[in-house]
Amino acid sequence: MGSGVRFEGVWKKFQRGEVHDSLRDLIPAVARRFVRGNTPPPLSTREFWAVRDVSFNVGMGQALGIMGPNGAGKSTILKLLTKILRPDRGIREVHGRIGMLIEISAGFHPDLTGRENVFLQGAIMGMKRVDIRRKFDEIVAFSEIEDFIDTPVKRYSSGMNARLGFAIAAHVDPDVLIIDEVLAVGDFRFQDKAFGRIHSMCNSGIPVVLVSHQLDRIASLCSEAILLDHGQVRLHASPSECIQEYTLGVAPTGESAESTLSIIGMRFAAADIVMSGERVKLHLTCRSRDDFDNDATDIVVTVRSATTGSMLFSTGARPCRIEMPRGQEFEIDVELQANLTPGLYHVETGVWDGVSQRLVHGGPSRMLTVQPGTRPFGGSVQLNAQMSMRTVAIGLHMPDSADAMNDPLPELIVRS
Amino acid sequence: MSTASSPLPSGTTNPRKIVPFRDLREAFIDVLEHRDLLQQLTLRDIKLRYKQAVMGLAWAVFMPVLIVFSGLIIRYAMSQMSGQHLVPVEVANIAVKGLGWAFFVGAIGFATASLIGNMNLVTKIYFPREVLPLSTVGAQMFDSGLGVVVLAVILPFLGVRLHPSTLWAPLLFLLLILFTTAAGLALSCANLFFRDVKYIVQVVLMFGIFFTPVFFEPSMLGARGAFLVMLNPLTGILEGLRLSVIAGHNLFEPLYTVVKGVTVPEWQPWELWYSVVWSIGGLIAAGTLFRRVQPLFAEYV
Repeated sequence: MGSGVRFEGVWKKFQRGEVHDSLRDLIPAVARRFVRGNTPPPLSTREFWAVRDVSFNVGMGQALGIMGPNGAGKSTILKLLTKILRPDRGIREVHGRIGMLIEISAGFHPDLTGRENVFLQGAIMGMKRVDIRRKFDEIVAFSEIEDFIDTPVKRYSSGMNARLGFAIAAHVDPDVLIIDEVLAVGDFRFQDKAFGRIHSMCNSGIPVVLVSHQLDRIASLCSEAILLDHGQVRLHASPSECIQEYTLGVAPTGESAESTLSIIGMRFAAADIVMSGERVKLHLTCRSRDDFDNDATDIVVTVRSATTGSMLFSTGARPCRIEMPRGQEFEIDVELQANLTPGLYHVETGVWDGVSQRLVHGGPSRMLTVQPGTRPFGGSVQLNAQMSMRTVAIGLHMPDSADAMNDPLPELIVRS
Repeated sequence: MSTASSPLPSGTTNPRKIVPFRDLREAFIDVLEHRDLLQQLTLRDIKLRYKQAVMGLAWAVFMPVLIVFSGLIIRYAMSQMSGQHLVPVEVANIAVKGLGWAFFVGAIGFATASLIGNMNLVTKIYFPREVLPLSTVGAQMFDSGLGVVVLAVILPFLGVRLHPSTLWAPLLFLLLILFTTAAGLALSCANLFFRDVKYIVQVVLMFGIFFTPVFFEPSMLGARGAFLVMLNPLTGILEGLRLSVIAGHNLFEPLYTVVKGVTVPEWQPWELWYSVVWSIGGLIAAGTLFRRVQPLFAEYV
């Protein structure tokens, strides 16, 4: 039978507040209870369920993403998975050796050298000594700290520390992989390398559980996802469905105060999936009251990154030279050029009150998926590059005006 | 458990089949599977003691030497009172027992703090937590091993010869290690739940030398006193070491001395069995306890 993890109706309880952690506190407390008769402290009010009735199954070839706001129980589930905590109720089964990309330098001792720490940390992560010895060079090469491997770790920069930690964790060869927010390791170049490594580990067919706030990572790595809310599974579905539910549910909506203008509907003209650089069309259905003032109130359309939440673009009907009628229901067609990197975005609508300078009515919003177009590109904006080529005879190169301004010796080129 | 705050599912824990020593067996297999980790942690503890240290390897014999000198002062005072001379073999007596005591004190001190000292590991990564206190005992074995080597070189100069009964020594060392391990396991998890255990242990270890026959022999306390001291599980081990290695006594035989005309037992074979029961029974109890409470470590730490 293959490796995998199974949670069935798992519950985990924690206590709020302090527990007695010295005998000096405990003995009087016990004595008091003895003297006063058996009046138990109000335990029930201090306990709370950090994880409630969570069930999932991750088998070979599956990758499960876990998302949710802080305090939703993500880390507790990971600790239950890695056997650090024991569930109060329910069944937790783990088949196979667990590899963790969690707290990857937790076992490092500052006084030991990098080499010694590789062996120590490797052993803590469950590697056999012969395996560590066999993979030692590979680990060091991956971490890119060959020159400092015999230096005590206390002299390492935090980046070196994290790189070495990741390199060890990435060479464990687990049966089940558990990843928790370690993707922010080192500089961007190392992050790419680390992410590539994670990707290949995930694609090797072992079961993977990934917890992250970087939702696009979940979208790109996972086959399914669960959205946690106060310890409970709110949604167990595909990553994009969960991301939509999560980000829309969490996204701040404007106050729905009485407004002279409201947006009552929004839909995409075609699909909510668009190729990078292509145009996306949507229809807004709006209703205005008789006292609606076109100069003071406007509708806004905003595009936000679903993964970071940052606003990328915002416009209104008035800047687009639309005169909205009074006391009527009307439709506005919006066309946007999706010059965006592939990923998940929100298209949000709202009503802007120019007098109070704030959003007075949050309209509907939709998720937009941007897919890589036919021409891959890097960076953060799709500039729709066009390139063409023509051949030039060698030696007859004439500098154009811009080059001539920068070139200190234009006459040399002409002479040659 | 009171659980009024939330709804609960019905039908909960999976039934445990009753297997004798189940926890202990699990613990043993788990630690065996993680023997590389145990080795690495032991190495770490040893390296850290000698890295950036003033004394280096001398540290290993520092504490036994200190104990021997303290013992000599006390024995010298005693001999002045009784008008007898201090004989070299008494140095050997104190050295053998002092080494055993130093092992116990050193290992217990480090073991008690081992879980708390590795809190970041305990809360973040799973491995059988037994390896943490075990590795401190292992590191202390290295230290005391050096002490044994030094002692083996010195003893002949103090007039100690090899006897057939010297063969008791490895068994007694084993008992000492088992007993120390048991105490270390129990105290490390006690210290995790109650932080003041560490201070209690410090005080007990500081004054424990007066309740353990290191500087004196139980027979010096008279018949009743000797019996009381023999109730200390370390007495059988330390006195056993002294009598078998220095005096060449077979531990299956009782030994009596006459103090002021009264016959006082110096050794009783039951002391050996008493220590065996404490070591093995203690290890079973501590190992089971440790296993049972281990899942709570990450929550209470």
